[in-house]
Amino acid sequence: MFSILHVDVNSAYLSWEAVYRLQHGARVDLREIPAVVGGDEASRHGIVLAKSIPAKKFDIQTGETLFSARQKCPGLVVVSPNYKLYMQCSDAMNDILREYSPVIQRYSIDESFMHYQPAILQPKNFREKVMEVAQQLRRRIREELGFTVNIGIGPNKLLAKMASEFRKPDQIHTLYRHEIAEKMWPLPVSELFFVGRATTKKLFRYNVLTIGDLAKTNPDLIHRWLKKPGLLIWQYANGLDDSQVTEQPVPIKSIGNSNTLAFDVADRKTAHQILLALSETVGKRIRHIERSGRVVSVTLRSAELVTYRKQSCLEIPIDSTTLIWKEACRIFDETWKREALRHMGIHLSGLCSNDYYQLSLLQENEERFKKLDQTIDKLRQRFGDATLFRGCFSHSPIQPLMGGVIQEEETEYPMMSSYL
Amino acid sequence: MKVWMQPIEMIAFFDVTGKPRPLRYRWKSPLDHSDHELRVIKIDRVIECREEKLVGNRMMVYRCQSVIDDLEKVYELKYEFNTCKWYLYKM
Repeated sequence: MFSILHVDVNSAYLSWEAVYRLQHGARVDLREIPAVVGGDEASRHGIVLAKSIPAKKFDIQTGETLFSARQKCPGLVVVSPNYKLYMQCSDAMNDILREYSPVIQRYSIDESFMHYQPAILQPKNFREKVMEVAQQLRRRIREELGFTVNIGIGPNKLLAKMASEFRKPDQIHTLYRHEIAEKMWPLPVSELFFVGRATTKKLFRYNVLTIGDLAKTNPDLIHRWLKKPGLLIWQYANGLDDSQVTEQPVPIKSIGNSNTLAFDVADRKTAHQILLALSETVGKRIRHIERSGRVVSVTLRSAELVTYRKQSCLEIPIDSTTLIWKEACRIFDETWKREALRHMGIHLSGLCSNDYYQLSLLQENEERFKKLDQTIDKLRQRFGDATLFRGCFSHSPIQPLMGGVIQEEETEYPMMSSYL
Repeated sequence: MKVWMQPIEMIAFFDVTGKPRPLRYRWKSPLDHSDHELRVIKIDRVIECREEKLVGNRMMVYRCQSVIDDLEKVYELKYEFNTCKWYLYKM
């Protein structure tokens, strides 16, 4: 007998920021005034990353520009993000969780799953026991760490996650199988995990409005409408999910980095240089997980916010910075419409293991690239990313390694995943 | 008591467990508009000390007592482990 607990921090970035400031003598609590955590406007990362509940009342949305947020709410307080603090908060919270169970999955920076199994195998009051643990967790996190969390309790990860989304903040909800019809089915289908904007639109067209509607629809029909992912969301709507709480990170299917540029780029040379800076980061990450990728794709967003993407599939998987860059430049030259760009990205997918792969007779001198990359990676790991970089970046406004949340960080910043 | 959260210069000793204990510090009150230099204040008694780890940031909070301007005052000091900084927290 076991239960899964899903712990979700309430408006994470904002409440962490608020508590940190209170600890350092701030007189106002950011959670009680209209406030947002927003990116740096000077380098054009000015969007809302998190908002307080009073800010929500002004209809400020996560992801909208700070400019429009300020128009909705004059006098809005904007604070810059501090990702190191967020990592520290997340670590502290997971330390508390680990006192209760050895199996914790850090799902993202502010969400964790916990597999809870009491010491006695079949205790009579199992559910009360789990509730007690959840109460303790919630209280301890609030008192010791100063921020509030929502905890969802369920028989599997999906239901636990759905439960933690119910009413906020500082709440505990359960969603056991017998409660699905009452608590989950009346919700709009867009609330279901894995159902995004595009899927919602399609389901609305077939008059599937609530999660209950979806659960009661014939799975064959859904398969016809939405193909394989449709069956998955049908299972989710019925509360079926057999994924495990694992410490292992979710298997990586692709690696990519992108950057909103500090200035619009309209010449080919600078664009290539930015692609190189992105390739450095992508290359470093793919070599770190000891894999190679076959599909390189380049994403471009123009100053008018039109986004387009092109990819190409290679005969032979690559992991070298230089090769990724060359391929990205080739795609870029084919795709770019000569307009000013504000955002660029490189993604590598079709990943395969480095143990076996097809060699080519025509490939350029690959061994040399391999050795060079290995040496650079080692040096950067030991002495920091700024240890050495390509000559073209000296006296250039472009950073030699681009993309990623925290620069020069050993551990990867836990990002949200769309898989349980 | 009012929140000041002002960085201060501190002499403290660390016991064998690594716990710091404040002894005396140099400080000038923001309300003191005289030409006085920073003044040294001796901590007469640590009434209470507790550790807090809000947002995972460890700090020691001391409730102390000193004689300042012939007046016995109770106030709070904070020590931040992460940055090794001392603050006059509340007075």
